[in-house]
Parts: sequence; structure tokens; C-alpha cells
Amino acid sequence: MLDSPRYGERWGRHWLDVAHYGETHGYDKDKPRRNAWPYRDYVIRAFNEDKPYARFVREQVAGDVLYPDTPEGLIATGFLAAGPWDYVGHAELREGTRDKRIARLLDRDDMLMTVMSTFSSLTVHCARCHNHKFDPILQSDYYALQAVFAGVDRADRPYDDDPALFAKRKAILETLRKTELGINPIEAHIAELSSDEIERLQGDAEELGKRRTLLNHEKSEGKTAEQQARNAELDAESKMLAEQIREIRARVREIRLGMLDATERERLARLQQDEKRAKAAFDALPKPHWVYSAAPYFKSFGTFTPSLEPRPVSVLGRGDVDSPLEPAQPGAVTAVKALPARFKTSHEGERRAALADWLVDEKNPLTWRSIVNRVWHYHFGKGLVDSPNDFGRMGAKPTHPELLDWLAVEFRDGGGSLKQLHRLILTSAVYRQSSAGNAEFERIDRDNQFLWRMNARRLDAESVRDAALQIAGDLDLTMGGPPDEYFWFKDDHSPVYDYSRFDPAEHPKERRSIYRFVVRSVPDPLMESLDCPDPSLLTPKRNVTMTAVQALAMLNDPLLIEQSRRLAERLRMHSSDFGQQLDLLYRLALSRAPRPDETKLLAGYAKENGLENLCRLVMNSNEFLFVD
Amino acid sequence: MLGSFGGLALSHLLARDAHGEDLNGGLHHPAKAKRIVQLYMSGAASQVDTFDYKPDLIKRNGQKFDPGGKVELFQSDPGPCMASPWGWKPYGECGKWISDLVPHIGSQADKIAFLHSMMSKSNVHGPATFMQATGFVLPGFPSLGAWLSYGLGSLTDNLPTFVVLPDARGFPPNGPGNWGAGFLPAEHQATMIRVGREQPIHDLFPPESAEFIRDSSEKATLATLEKLNRAHMDQRGGDSLLAARIQSYQMAARLQLTAPEALDISKETPAVRKLYGVDEEMTQDFGTRCLVARRLLERGVRFVQVWSGADNGFPRRNWDSHENIEKDHGQMAGEMDRPAAALIRDLEALGMLDDTIVYWTTEFGRMPCSQGSLGRDHNPFAFTSWLAGGGVKGGVSYGASDEWSYKVAENPIYCYDLHATVLHLMGIDHKRLTYRNNGIDRRLTDVHGEVLGEIVA
Repeated sequence: MLDSPRYGERWGRHWLDVAHYGETHGYDKDKPRRNAWPYRDYVIRAFNEDKPYARFVREQVAGDVLYPDTPEGLIATGFLAAGPWDYVGHAELREGTRDKRIARLLDRDDMLMTVMSTFSSLTVHCARCHNHKFDPILQSDYYALQAVFAGVDRADRPYDDDPALFAKRKAILETLRKTELGINPIEAHIAELSSDEIERLQGDAEELGKRRTLLNHEKSEGKTAEQQARNAELDAESKMLAEQIREIRARVREIRLGMLDATERERLARLQQDEKRAKAAFDALPKPHWVYSAAPYFKSFGTFTPSLEPRPVSVLGRGDVDSPLEPAQPGAVTAVKALPARFKTSHEGERRAALADWLVDEKNPLTWRSIVNRVWHYHFGKGLVDSPNDFGRMGAKPTHPELLDWLAVEFRDGGGSLKQLHRLILTSAVYRQSSAGNAEFERIDRDNQFLWRMNARRLDAESVRDAALQIAGDLDLTMGGPPDEYFWFKDDHSPVYDYSRFDPAEHPKERRSIYRFVVRSVPDPLMESLDCPDPSLLTPKRNVTMTAVQALAMLNDPLLIEQSRRLAERLRMHSSDFGQQLDLLYRLALSRAPRPDETKLLAGYAKENGLENLCRLVMNSNEFLFVD
Repeated sequence: MLGSFGGLALSHLLARDAHGEDLNGGLHHPAKAKRIVQLYMSGAASQVDTFDYKPDLIKRNGQKFDPGGKVELFQSDPGPCMASPWGWKPYGECGKWISDLVPHIGSQADKIAFLHSMMSKSNVHGPATFMQATGFVLPGFPSLGAWLSYGLGSLTDNLPTFVVLPDARGFPPNGPGNWGAGFLPAEHQATMIRVGREQPIHDLFPPESAEFIRDSSEKATLATLEKLNRAHMDQRGGDSLLAARIQSYQMAARLQLTAPEALDISKETPAVRKLYGVDEEMTQDFGTRCLVARRLLERGVRFVQVWSGADNGFPRRNWDSHENIEKDHGQMAGEMDRPAAALIRDLEALGMLDDTIVYWTTEFGRMPCSQGSLGRDHNPFAFTSWLAGGGVKGGVSYGASDEWSYKVAENPIYCYDLHATVLHLMGIDHKRLTYRNNGIDRRLTDVHGEVLGEIVA
């Protein structure tokens, strides 16, 4: 089972919960992330190849720096970019505003929280405002971690499968970064230059701009011919104004360039020449692949621009961007005494590399305990520590501390093989118990903390959907690539994702749910009803609820209706005898033969209501939804 | 421990049975209110043009806007002072000055507590909309309605506890993220009802194309399903999760029976229809949704959220009037004013206003200076929300902005204080309603919030 590619898909899905992976940005204007999926495929691959855990950690935090020769390392940093991103805060707010600083603070907050919760099971983000009495994590640790991520944003980065090409492209990008670094201060100087004429021209441009705003605003939805004609007029006029504004701006720039001293002007021209040449060289290369990942450098859009060098980070009084205290030095958590808590580097990539090394150090017990506990949690439905993202004082106490430490050491010293760890757990006596009850044990340990039996569990949302496809023979096992969209999409100012306008009848085969396009702002109603978590949240363990909305989704969701139809068709193809049809249905859906009393009950039911209803009925049964 | 199924059942029991009588349905202390309807103005409704009267701004109309210090706006440089295009007059016994943009709400001034010193921690629609809805500027946190469901449980077994009625034009910024349950279990999530659509509730009934499902087959299906599920459960010693799932189908069946009736306004009297303006183009959508909200509250829904306005697209379809306040606020307020006032009057007439809170809000305010020539930019430094009914003092104003309505001058408050007050009225101590998530005992009010005693009757 561990050799099946389905293993990586199953365990990869768990990892994506922890990483809060989504394929849109979230917030207002929830734009699709068309290049997020290479990270999802990386995760599946890593599990299937049984990548040593230390390497898996290092790649996701700083793979672009630590493994610079392979695209794999770069793709892996999709982990840092997996969470939500405030499009308006980053790409529309003007540089230098308070809200822009807040947007960046919160963006780094998400990155460091994801890293420390995932790999160390620590809730460092609690220390943003001040030290806590009950927690050993210092406020200065929090800002040390902010400083680790001070030079990265989330953006699309190019990569190539061919290592030589990949290296060439990276060299060009480095040239571009350096020219930008040279140009920016000169441009900042230019923007400050003024004269009476410049002020007059800018005043003119502003007035034209106001007129243009009002013209644009007069436009209606244009349903009637008259409205459309009026809209066309307005468009033409607006375009003319835009042209005039452009001309004025060009004139202002010309005047300003004339005001620069000659050496600065020449320096700018030289840098612009370099930039142009590098851009042409980039465009001359074969088209790259792109991945949405941690990005120290990327192509600007709107007001979203790369830092080029790490942005200065200070400890903030009460977490307020207007109350900076002392500058923060990159580092990690002081409470891990065996390791240095601050990193001696100012370079962007080295900061993340240092954190990656801090995480996977043999002397850092948190990392190894954290991962074996996660694996235990997914096998038993409950971790040895029942708060997999929090081993701190606010978290749950371990039920079996010695076992946890033993597993952690076995795992660490055995090369960090997850497949070995699975084998160890799966072949244990405790795992091979049945979920049958026992009145005496029930009385002593009702919650089964001490694992005297297996926990019975409801299938998660993805498994329900995949099973419904699988039993009708409609599950397409093609792996990887861009995600499948099970909604109607309209790319608007704020994009529209409408699940009610998607007809599964038009899609004869569908892939496993891990390849489903995950929208942050608008959840898929069927998946949401089955406790599929909000991808804006770090989810180390899912809730399990039984709601009326879930029952209605299981009964009436168009996908399950369609699957009832297809499953009935499959049964008919198999045999025209009801006994054989029911037998196949039970074997497919419940992995057993029907009992005589069930056959009697369901024969009568099917005669009245047909096979489609029978299939729908069985897919709604508790036995289909629960594993013993 | 809370968060497991057992924990939830406990909170439900506490609310409905154990303390149900002596605390009037409250969780920590006696409740004054049992239910809430929230009217959420998406895109940022201007306080300067509605409830925050500034005679000085009228005098300074067209003069340079110079409040001292750097004025940092969302997307523009500040233009001159701009008086509201609407006139103002005093309303009711309290004599509250309210603009001609919202005369119907003005007529209800004696029942309303206006909060003029609201501030937001973000100047950007997405985070700010989250903040008023969930108390946090980040995505993924439970909304007020989800917290109330978690704290108080439901008042009926036939309808959801928390219902959201989005604008017919579409979702507000952040979409359904604004009414998510976050880390709270899914049973606390909102049920979204798209009033006016053929299938207002997703998956409430099978799609029409499912011709094999008939009324008779549906009865047989549910009965047979229950038989199979009971037999399965009996073999397993009565597992509580299995029992809960059987129960969920019974609840689903009740919802199928109750919801269509609750959404059907055809039997409302002509007088009521007129009151809400459901037969007039301007007020049809918002009026119908306010009337549906009242019907849901009557039938035991705990929290109904009614949105005015959609996302920030073009042409404008919400309150985000950067270009032309008169045109766009004229439209939005024209849709909202009469139905909102109707809701207060109607709840009062039905004797429900005493224990129903009407909660009007928006994500931030707008600037007293102009943007472009006729619009207003965002103002997170001062804006107005208001409450009515459900134990709230009427005809009062709390806090104040400065002479322009630019920044708060007295008693600054955030949504934390408003949320704390609303929970207080519902019988909940906001500091004690917590849920452990990833190592933090999360609260709706984070680590903030003071109950606004001055507006509690």
C-alpha cells in the first residue's frame, strides 16, 4: 500500500491541510493562483518517494537557497506561499502607508506561524504583542522570525527542467534584481524634483484625471442600445483624456530628467540599458514553468514590488507598526537551549537557510516529536499529543510521553523515513485492534485515550467524494497538473466562483479530490458540509460533525445524484438479476455481501423506487461513511 | 476538550436546559435579547452623509481640508471639505439630527443608540469587512453568528441557527468567508439563503434533473435509510456519532418542511408588503430580505445577517462611493432606508423588538473631504454603527467624532466593544466564551472589548 501512488495523494492531502494550501489568494478580490499546483505535486511526490524528512523540511523553508541547482527546491517553497494573501493590501495600497506596513507584517506573520506550527508545533505568533507569563516564547523571538522572512513575498517564480537553462535564467534574474536596486533610489530622487512648471502640469493632469473618473463612473451596465451608445461615447472621451494625461506625464518626466546632474543621468541610462538587455535575454530563453512560491525577487505589478534586500524589521511595541523599538536580528526560539537562538547573517537566503538548519538539527527535539505525532494522529484519529500544532503549555499533555520520544528518536536516527514510521505503527499490536466496544474498558477510559480499541471514524470530505466516484467506476487516476474546476468561473474585478452553475453530468470522469481547485472565499458546499476545512486556517486536525446541511448535501448534491445514476448503470451492465446487482453494490460500497434481511428489505425498496434510488440510499448509509 | 462532539452537546444543553429558565436563555447571566438581525452595509457607508451631523463641515464646504498632521487616504490625496449633498433635520423626542438620505431610519431615532466613535484597524475593504464580521482582520476566524450558535445553541429544531441573506447582486468582499465558522465545528456555520433564486438554499431539494426521485420514493428512502442505520448502530453498541448522523437526517427533513414556508412572503398583508417596499423596484431586494429576516426570526432563527451591497466592482454595486457620493449613496440608501426602518417598526408591532437586537454596521466610514470632485475616500478613523431593540437604550448617541467627522474625539471604540455589548445583551460574558484552537483560547473579542454600559437599557 505504501508503494501505491495513492499513498502520496492521501498523505499529501493531510500535509496540505497543515500548510493551509489554497488556489486563490483569499480576502477581497479573491484571484486564482494559476501556478500554485506545482507545490501540491511536489508534496505528493515527496511522500511517494519517501523523501527524508530533514530534506523535506529544508526544501520547504529554503529549498531555493539550499538546493539551488534543482527546480525541486524552489518549487518546495510553495509551502511558505501556501496561505492567504491580501491582494489589495499588497498590490493597490501605496508604498509608505501605514496599512501597507500592516499588510506586510501580517503576511510575514502567516509565513512564520505556518513554519513554526508545522515543523515545531509551537504557537510563536502568540508573542506578537508582548511576552506571556505562561509561555517561554519571547516577543523578541517572534520578531527574530519576522526578520527571517523580511526579504520574501509570495509570487510566481520561473523554473526550468533543464539545469543549465535554469542556471542561466537565475543569473539573468540576479542581474535584473541588481539593476532595480540601482535604479530605485534614482527614481525616488526624480519623483521629488519639482518646479513651477511641473506643479502646473501635474495640476492639469489631476484635473483631467478627475474628469475622467466622473466620465468612467457615468457608464452603466449597458443593457439597452441607447445605454451602449452612451457607454461607447464615454469610453472614447475617457480614452482621449487618458492620452492627454499620458502626454503631460511624459513631459513632466522629460523636465525632471533635465534637472538631474549629468553623472546621475548617465548612471540611470546605463542601468536602464542593462535592464533592457537582461529582459531581452530572459525573453529569448524558452518559456519557463512558473510556481507560486516564496519570492525574494519577482516582476512587480500594481504597487506590489520586491524588497530586493530584506526590509528592516523592528520589535513592535504592542505589535503596533507605529511603535518600533529596537531592530530585530534574524533568529528562532530562545527556549531551545541546545541551539543558538540568533543567526549571524544579513543575507536574505541565508536567513531562511539558517532557520531550516535550526529546525532539522538533531538537537532540536521539537521537530522530530512534532512529525511522529502528526503521523500517529492520522493513523489513530488522535495524536499522542492531541494538539498537533501546539506542544506548548496551552496544548494538550502527551498521553504516552515515553512512546512519543521513542518514536521521535527512532524516526530521527533511522534517516527520517516516513514509510518506515508507517510500517512501525501499522504492524504494531495497538494499530491492529478492532473498534469493537468493551463495557469494562468503556467505563475506565470512555474517550479511548489509552487506545484499548481502534477509533471508528467518518470518512473525510475528500474520501467521500472519491469513494462516490470510485464505486461507479468514474474515478480518473491521472495524477498532477493544473487543478480541476468544479464551479462556474467569471474573472471579474472580484472573481465569481459559482458551484450551483456546474453540472457534473457533463463530466463523465473526475479525478481525486486532491486535484480539485480550492477556492478560499467560496467553499464547495458538498466538501464544506463534510468538514473540509477553510484553507485560510492551519488545520492539524479536522472537525467531525453531523449536521442537517451535511445530510442534505449527501442526499441532494448534484454530484452524488449523478453518481447514483452512474452506479445504477454499472449494476445494470453487470447483471439483470437483482440479487447479483445488490451483491455488487454491497461489495463496491461496503466491502461485504448483503445479509438476507437486508436483501429482503432492499429488494422491496428497489422494486418500488428503482436502482438509482437504491444507490443513493447506500451512499447515504452510515456504513458507507464510517470506517470501523 | 471543547471541540469534541461531547463538548458541543454540553454547551447546547447548558444554554437550552440547565440554565434556560433562570438566565432567560443566557449562558453566563440573564439575557435581555434572544436574537439578532444584523444589517451590514458593504463597501463602507458614509457617516458624514447619514447619522454624524457636523454643522462646521457645512460651513467649511469647499475650504481646504486641514485637520493638522498628515492625512493618509486609501487611494487619493485629500480634496477640500465637502458638506453632504443632503440636508439635515432633528427627529423624534431625542431630537437627533439625521440627514435627508435616511429619513425612515430617522423616524425611528427614539429607539436607536448611535455609536459615533467606531474605528477600524484596517483601511482596506477585505480585512476591515472581516474585522466587523469576525473581530479579526485575517481570514479564517468564526463570525459573530457562529459564536452565538456555539454559545447559545438554537431556539428551534426546524431551522438553522445562523442565516445569511446576501445581496442579489453578489457577495461582499471576502465572500462567504465573512460568515464562516472558522475553527468552530461546521454545525455553527451559516446557512446562506439566496432569496429570489429558484433554489434559495443549496441542496435543500434534489435538482430537477433527478427525475428518479419522487415524493413517494423520498419517504421510502428516508425510512429505509433509518432502518439500515439503526441496525448498523445497534451492532456497534450505540456510538454517539452514528446516532448524531441518524438525527441529522431527521433535522434535514424538518428543514425541508419549514424553510419553504418561512421564505414564502406571499401571505403577508398588503400593509406589511408596503411597509418594507417589496413591490417597488428600488426597495424590492433589500425589502424582501428584511421581511424574510423577520419571518426567520419569528420562527426561531437566532442570528440573521442581511447584506446591503456586493463587491467592489464597476459599475458600483455597493456603498464604496469613491467617485460620486450623491449618485451612489443615493441609490444604496434609497434601497436600504425604508426596509431597515420597516424592520424596526414591524418587530415592535409584533412585540419582538424587546428581545431582538437590530444591529446596523459597515466596515469603516468615509472622509469629510472630497475625492476627485464628488466622491469620498475611506475613513477608518471614525464611523457610525447603531443598535436598536433587545435591551438597547433608544434615542441616545455614544462617543463623538471631531468637528469634521474625520477622527474620533470622544470614547473611541472598536468592533470589540460592540461585539462585547451584543454578547452581553444575549447573556454572554465575551471573556468567557472561548474555543481552544492551535494553542490559543480564542475569543470573538480577541484580548479586547468593554461592554458599553451607557447604551444598555
